[in-house]
Amino acid sequence: MNSAQQLQHLYWRAGFGPRPQDVAASLSPRKALRQLLNDSEKYEPLVGPALNYTDPQGMAMTDPASIKTNPVPNGMVTTPDQPAPPGAPTAPVATMRPRAVFRGGTIAAGVPRLRRAALTPEQRKMQNAGIRDAFNNMSTAWMERMATSPAQLREKMVLFWHGHFACRVRQPDAALSLHNAMRQHALGKFPDLLLAVSQEPAMLQFLNNQQNRKEHPNENFAREVMELFTLGRGNYSENDVKEAARAFTGWGYDYQNRFKFREREHDAGPKTFLGKTGNLTGEDVLTHLMAQPAAATFLVTKIYRFFVNEVPNPAHIEPLAVAFRKSGYDLADLMERLFSADWFYEPANVGTHIKSPVELLAGIRRTLNVKVDNSQPLLGYQRALGQNLFQPPNVAGWPGGRNWIDSSSLLLRLQLPAILFKNAEFAVALKQDDNDIAPNLSKAERTVRPGAGAHLPLAPLQQLLGATPAAQQPEKLSAFLLQASIRPENLQLVQQAAAQKEPAEALRATLVSLLSLPEYQLA
Amino acid sequence: MLTTRREFLRNSALASTLLLVPKFLHALDRGPGLAQLRDAVGARRLIVVQLSGGNDGLNTVIPYKNDLYYKARPTLGIKETEGILDMDKDLGLHPALKGLKGLYDQGELAVLNAVGYPNPDRSHFRSMDIWQSGSGSDQVVSTGWLGRYLDSNCPDCQRPYNALEIDDTLSLAMKGARRKGLALKTPDKFHQITQNRLLSKVSKEAAPQHQDQVDYLYKTLAETASSADYLYDKSKIYKSSVTYPNSDFGKNLKTTAELINSGVESRVYYLALSGFDTHVRQHEQQQRLFTDLGNGLAALADDLRQHDQWNNTLVLVFSEFGRRVGQNASNGTDHGTANNLFLAGGALQKKGVLNDAPDLANLDQGDLRHQVDFRSIYASVLKDWLGADDTAILGTGFERLPGLV
Repeated sequence: MNSAQQLQHLYWRAGFGPRPQDVAASLSPRKALRQLLNDSEKYEPLVGPALNYTDPQGMAMTDPASIKTNPVPNGMVTTPDQPAPPGAPTAPVATMRPRAVFRGGTIAAGVPRLRRAALTPEQRKMQNAGIRDAFNNMSTAWMERMATSPAQLREKMVLFWHGHFACRVRQPDAALSLHNAMRQHALGKFPDLLLAVSQEPAMLQFLNNQQNRKEHPNENFAREVMELFTLGRGNYSENDVKEAARAFTGWGYDYQNRFKFREREHDAGPKTFLGKTGNLTGEDVLTHLMAQPAAATFLVTKIYRFFVNEVPNPAHIEPLAVAFRKSGYDLADLMERLFSADWFYEPANVGTHIKSPVELLAGIRRTLNVKVDNSQPLLGYQRALGQNLFQPPNVAGWPGGRNWIDSSSLLLRLQLPAILFKNAEFAVALKQDDNDIAPNLSKAERTVRPGAGAHLPLAPLQQLLGATPAAQQPEKLSAFLLQASIRPENLQLVQQAAAQKEPAEALRATLVSLLSLPEYQLA
Repeated sequence: MLTTRREFLRNSALASTLLLVPKFLHALDRGPGLAQLRDAVGARRLIVVQLSGGNDGLNTVIPYKNDLYYKARPTLGIKETEGILDMDKDLGLHPALKGLKGLYDQGELAVLNAVGYPNPDRSHFRSMDIWQSGSGSDQVVSTGWLGRYLDSNCPDCQRPYNALEIDDTLSLAMKGARRKGLALKTPDKFHQITQNRLLSKVSKEAAPQHQDQVDYLYKTLAETASSADYLYDKSKIYKSSVTYPNSDFGKNLKTTAELINSGVESRVYYLALSGFDTHVRQHEQQQRLFTDLGNGLAALADDLRQHDQWNNTLVLVFSEFGRRVGQNASNGTDHGTANNLFLAGGALQKKGVLNDAPDLANLDQGDLRHQVDFRSIYASVLKDWLGADDTAILGTGFERLPGLV
């Protein structure tokens, strides 16, 4: 594998693909990695007025921490469109249900922060629309970052953490705050990231730690923090879950959506957790989790599967895990080691990753410097392909790999370039059950139609092509766009497609054909 | 020239005598694949109809002789005078469900009450995820119950078109770890997409035999394209003349019947009817949706019956949850728990209302308690109707309901 191929592999895995200008710069992979790390050093939160949900009714927020003033009846997980029925019985916290009930619940699970019961149907509809807009704007702003930000590695890491710390809540502000916590610590020390995420109201709500009180522990968060965030199954006992849950009692958030330690709800008694005994706090539990060697192996394996190969190779992973632990779980250091390893550039790891819908779309935009007039249809296609940012399918995030591909998603993926750049006729209806925010949309409202207004600037590509004669251009462009070498029969198809066009259109036709090949699904 | 297969057969029969009809026409009568399908032990077809949005089961199968029902729903309760369609066990169908009542009267409908699962989740998304994956509410499973059926070495599940979803995108229910069903709106539209010049050529290229990702993509593409060809060619055999509701759901049912009556070798069909999230003005919405549902299923039954396909068809109708017992302030209902589930078909083992109405005197904080775990019904359908290994697909612990299907 030559240096140019290595460089492209790096740009695809550590970001959303190379631009023609990145290829033209022809840095050594080592230098490019340095630059990616440098460019990703700075934390810039995702912010903007369009990302905030503002309540059109100016309703007072209720204090979710106060069960007395804002009763959450037992057996009633409040879902988006579900106001508390008037006179609903108030259950004692004692009967709050166990983890099982809430696992995978939505933002509103148990905590109606907005007085939805008091709203008229029209107001509720307006509220739903406002929430939906905020989420849509958050998604498009993030996609824009992925496509354009020089901090490519940070963007890719945030996407990874977004699936790792999967969380599905109804409140845009809570979801955005969690996102920015992950953005901030994405390349820092993992224990800082873990603590920050664990104290985010969105996560505390999603995993029901808001309901975790001394007398009536809720184990959901304690379980997931071990099973999904740090150790993986088999590295702790049911008793560890129980004891950890006790340590996290009192962790909650206030009406301003800030972390709040409610001391009176905290169980300060002695606990024994993974062999350690004492009056452990939630922070102690997280620290002790990080002292487990299993944590480094678990985390590095998950990172390896996302960035290198779905099939983990223990011979690659163990040394990384040892170094990761030794560094105090320094993520930037880990990623630098991973992307510098010789095995990272082995053929078995190149062009073998099925792009997620987000990677596919952000990749097309980035590598071709595409400008988009309207990102809403893009968001629609992303959803039709199965990846709705801020709405992971469940606590385990997106399963990835071949799960992205079925007959209809593959056809849509292969048609996508034609839809984007030629406004090809293609409408796809999203399913009704795709979301909880606006579940009763009509079919027309759920239908995504072309019209993103995607502009494909040819100048950077022409620069990349330089003096390449027209006949060799398809091959040169395929080397830029595809990680695998193009099949002769496909090259012929691409050439034929271009040959039918006016010279001015030939380049565009070549690009659309190359982007429509199965190989382009891989990075 | 469009002659329906039925007309063709009738004309052939008239032209000769039935005995003289060449052998291949006997085969055509059932479709070569389906002949095999029907003759094989336990080999039948399943149609799943998903009511998306959480249908209010209490206003579907109405406990109209129970005062508690009217007490909880002073204005939303359906009154007997509105034309409730009487069934067994003091229950009646919503007046708009005449189509289902017809099936009930013919002994082709089974009603199961209070179907649900422990620790119910009231999020549409999550609860649908649970129903489609066949998981518990405390489990996360990334394959669907019908997808795992496709995975389960069943001989009639090898090809993607053996399980069809009539929609633009494929549901989790239809995705297995190794095999997945196929989503199509109509055979024509699906075929048209694969006729894209580049796509049609690339799809004919062979996948290299490395079992890697690029192979997988080429294999999926080739299977998709050949399935599209098969379905397009096959579906030309029969065009339905039965009247279906003029709605998206009606059209999808018609497509389903046309595929079945054309002899398409599919074991599973999946359809959705959406719009059941009735927090406000439930009356109007349910009236419209139920007309669609009842008339649609009645038309489907008619269509299949005319072609001797109704006896080997089982329809399962479910929703991700029911609604709360009490009505809300907007003449609607909010998210609840257990719900009724319908089975329909020409060869049902058990007919009518199969278990007691939900106990309105014994609620869980205003919600119904479930009597039947939906996975027990899945297990029965998988094992007793489709002849599959239910425990391999669903795990253990779900007792089949003896003699259900």
